[in-house]
Amino acid sequence: MNAERWVAAALLASMAASLALVALYAFTPGNPQAEGALLAVALGGVGIAIVVWAAALIDAPLEEEPWHSLESPAAEREAAGAAMADEAITRRRFLVRLLAGAGGLLAAALALPAFSLGPEPGRDLFVTGWRRGARLVDEDGAPLRVADLLIDGVRTVFPEGAVGRPDSQTLVIRLRPGDLALTGDRAGWAPEGVVAYSKICTHAGCPVGLYRAEARELLCPCHQSTFDVTRGAVPVFGPAARPLPQLPLEVDEAGFLVASGDFPEPVGPSFWNLTHDAPDAESEDGA
Amino acid sequence: MGPMRRHRPFAVAMLATAGLITVVVGHVTAVPRTPEPSHALVEAQDADPAAGAALFRTSCSTCHGTDGRGTDHGPSLVGVGAASADFQLRTGRMPFAGPRGTQPERKPPAFAPDEIEDLVAYVASLGDGPAIPSVRIDAELLSRGQELYVGNCAPCHGATANGGAVGGGSIAPPLDRATVVQVAEAVVVGPGQMPAFNFNEADRNAVVTYVDYLRTAPNPGGLSIGGIGPVPEGFVAWAVGMALLLAIVYLVGREWARVGGSGS
Amino acid sequence: MAARWFDERLGLASWTRSGLRKIFPDHWSFLLGEVALFCLVILVLTGVFLTLFYVPDAAVVTYEGSYAPLQGQEVSRAYASVLDLSFEVKAGLVMRQVHHWAALVFVAAIVVHMLRVFFTGAFRKPREINWLVGIGLLLLTLAMGITGYSLPDDLLSGTGLRIIYSAVIGIPLIGPYLAFLAFGGEFPTETIISRLFVFHVMLLPALLIGGVLTHLAILWRQKHTQFPGGPRTERNVVGRPFWPTQVFKSTGLLLLTSAVIALMGGLIQVNPVWTYGPFDAATVSAPAQPDWYVGWLDGALRLFPPIEFTILGITVPTVFIPAIVIPGILFGILTLWPFIEPLLTGDRETHHLLDRPRDNALRTSIGVAGLLVFVVLTVAGGNDVITLVAQIPVEGMTEILRVAFFVVPLVGFAVTYRVCRELQARTDAPRPRAVRLRRTPSGGFEEAGDE
Repeated sequence: MNAERWVAAALLASMAASLALVALYAFTPGNPQAEGALLAVALGGVGIAIVVWAAALIDAPLEEEPWHSLESPAAEREAAGAAMADEAITRRRFLVRLLAGAGGLLAAALALPAFSLGPEPGRDLFVTGWRRGARLVDEDGAPLRVADLLIDGVRTVFPEGAVGRPDSQTLVIRLRPGDLALTGDRAGWAPEGVVAYSKICTHAGCPVGLYRAEARELLCPCHQSTFDVTRGAVPVFGPAARPLPQLPLEVDEAGFLVASGDFPEPVGPSFWNLTHDAPDAESEDGA
Repeated sequence: MGPMRRHRPFAVAMLATAGLITVVVGHVTAVPRTPEPSHALVEAQDADPAAGAALFRTSCSTCHGTDGRGTDHGPSLVGVGAASADFQLRTGRMPFAGPRGTQPERKPPAFAPDEIEDLVAYVASLGDGPAIPSVRIDAELLSRGQELYVGNCAPCHGATANGGAVGGGSIAPPLDRATVVQVAEAVVVGPGQMPAFNFNEADRNAVVTYVDYLRTAPNPGGLSIGGIGPVPEGFVAWAVGMALLLAIVYLVGREWARVGGSGS
Repeated sequence: MAARWFDERLGLASWTRSGLRKIFPDHWSFLLGEVALFCLVILVLTGVFLTLFYVPDAAVVTYEGSYAPLQGQEVSRAYASVLDLSFEVKAGLVMRQVHHWAALVFVAAIVVHMLRVFFTGAFRKPREINWLVGIGLLLLTLAMGITGYSLPDDLLSGTGLRIIYSAVIGIPLIGPYLAFLAFGGEFPTETIISRLFVFHVMLLPALLIGGVLTHLAILWRQKHTQFPGGPRTERNVVGRPFWPTQVFKSTGLLLLTSAVIALMGGLIQVNPVWTYGPFDAATVSAPAQPDWYVGWLDGALRLFPPIEFTILGITVPTVFIPAIVIPGILFGILTLWPFIEPLLTGDRETHHLLDRPRDNALRTSIGVAGLLVFVVLTVAGGNDVITLVAQIPVEGMTEILRVAFFVVPLVGFAVTYRVCRELQARTDAPRPRAVRLRRTPSGGFEEAGDE
């Protein structure tokens, strides 16, 4: 019969594949393509065999069974209700309410260890590792002079001593001084056309890793927020609503780029009390 | 009932063939393109700046000005250096053929190699700019190159150098067709929207080594389906996985409906 | 003999008999839930294997395995263990890939199954509870997926964790507190990987398996629905018995599902974490997407305009609405649908017979509209990949998709409604109309009209 041949062929193929798998694993491991393909044949062979066997060889006429309503008869429901309602419990409503209250408070008390899972945010979201006088260093820890930066080039920098500190990741971009259009105090934060912004996107926190040098726009790859470097990293496209915070820079006596203080506002995505805490820009440790 | 039984082996065979085709097509399209052969370093003594100047006047001056100082249509080339000219000419991006304001694209070079050498020599003579960098692939630097690539290049060009959209109508192109010298030149020059990178020679060689590695890197897991992450993976989960499973469910489910009388 | 031994101790003979004889209706679309179940089986089996090799530790080690581009680099132990699984452990890579493909297909199968249940009205009384259990399972599955693909601590999934952290931080009043509790401090923390591990291998699977058993138990108790037609009524179940027919069918389907996933796991590369590199909070690679079933959420984040405002001193960040409010509304409607529909249609009856999608134009149209919302958002999640492949500028696409978010579902609703009505009109045979006749004075007959 046709069906029997199919079943036999499928089972034989499966057996061959299983044996081949054993040999493969023992003698030439490290070939995921063969492992996957053989496994598929081994599994699929038995699967096809069972399906064909049952379809062709098991007589399975349609059957019918009645459907009774799921609802219990009224008498049963009343009996169940009566079984639960012992007078010793139902007559003492005041005690039952106290029990409920005690249970609720107990549950709250038992939930207390959940609050050990993490620290309170405190001022963590308001401060970074940048301090007044901290030198800008690259990922290898080397401090930077203006001359080390190419015009229209972009570098990721950290405060000296805190290389890799995630909240302090900063982009430093050197432009021709005439290309910058910073306003107010901010103009003084970019010596010789070197401007620094937080690398953490103010939308959802991804590092703003793309720079379109000709357009002078930073692009975040996650949701395409785009920031104009010449005008204080204001968002010009995409879902970010806040500019990237700007780091005030100056050049120290040795010619190295240093920060004049921490960022003037919290870095990264906004949160509910973002405008409540104004870190003191003059403080030495900002803690 | 009868026809379905007869067609069942056919349906199964169709499934198998579809699967095979997928596999074959995937393998074929996944073959990495080989880059053009690397050209010799252009410190060539036989480069002729005068011939280059003549070529420049006929082919480039309309946009870049007769003295290379730029016009409304093209930037000044004073100080761009041999590296920039070599990159643009050998990748065919220059002469620019696209609509104004769009990104120059790689195309077959418009000039012969010796003409390019002449043009490069001329442009280099216009002012001080970066020379064509020397490049050395060094397997010892592969890991350093991976680190630098992920930190500086992957955001635009992608983790596997398959390219990426950088917005504003620009694309960071895939790096499979650039020669190692062209990669180094781009890093030094920062052509177009690409920023320039101030790597030292060792780091530059490291990056180039890793980019070169990516071109021929094996895909131990099988078909790489684009190498651009979860988007094609999700597409394949539906178009291959769910499609096959729906076909199987239909075949297995219908089978029983056919056996023993009236189906649904 | 063996049966007698068990029966003397458990006395399950009659229960066994009724169970084996239980009738299940037959339709191919009823097998979709089983496909999802079998994906879960594959996930658990491969997952156990992976758990024996994976190390949920964020501590930094020097990678010294066989993948040359990462030699000598500082990576987390978790990441290193996944590289070892991929390159050093025999059959490790195929197990990893089977696990990941099974996860991607698992969610797809659940979605298709859920759509079948929705469009056929199988969630109606008395099956509302099972619908709620099912949506709960869907949400647990999403959580399993996110926790799972974040375990390798690679650059791509770590960026996704950052986005989740930012979404939580953005919740007014409690956001920062909640995020610091969940992550153990300011992102990134040393503990998040090990916490995700606990959720992924212990807490969530316990809830998931409990939920699946509940789902099946309720189905068993209430009996499966069936399409109308033939001998099928609201008062019977017509189909084939559990043993041997359904057991054979399901076993075959389990093996065939496993075969498909095994084939994908061996032949198609997925989640090549070695190319992304280890997670580094100051680095990102592009394109940056989560796995497909979270793509709609990423799309919502990409499309939502830069609206940030302050009410009574509380800043509402721009991520709050697309990441928390919109999903809440969408899933809220989805979850509560069995209770919303009776309000719209007035139908509070018990139903064991299914609708064909065309039979309930309102439900089908709303369902299509809802589905299109998710489709538009998912497409938006891949907008930069579409730009790369199809050369459509990403800014233009964002604008178009913002409009499409509203227009496409509305058009889908209208078109679907029309199509359903057309199909209803066509397939419903004209009912015979009863008329009154009266004799006319001349002897003929005429219609008497309503009297």
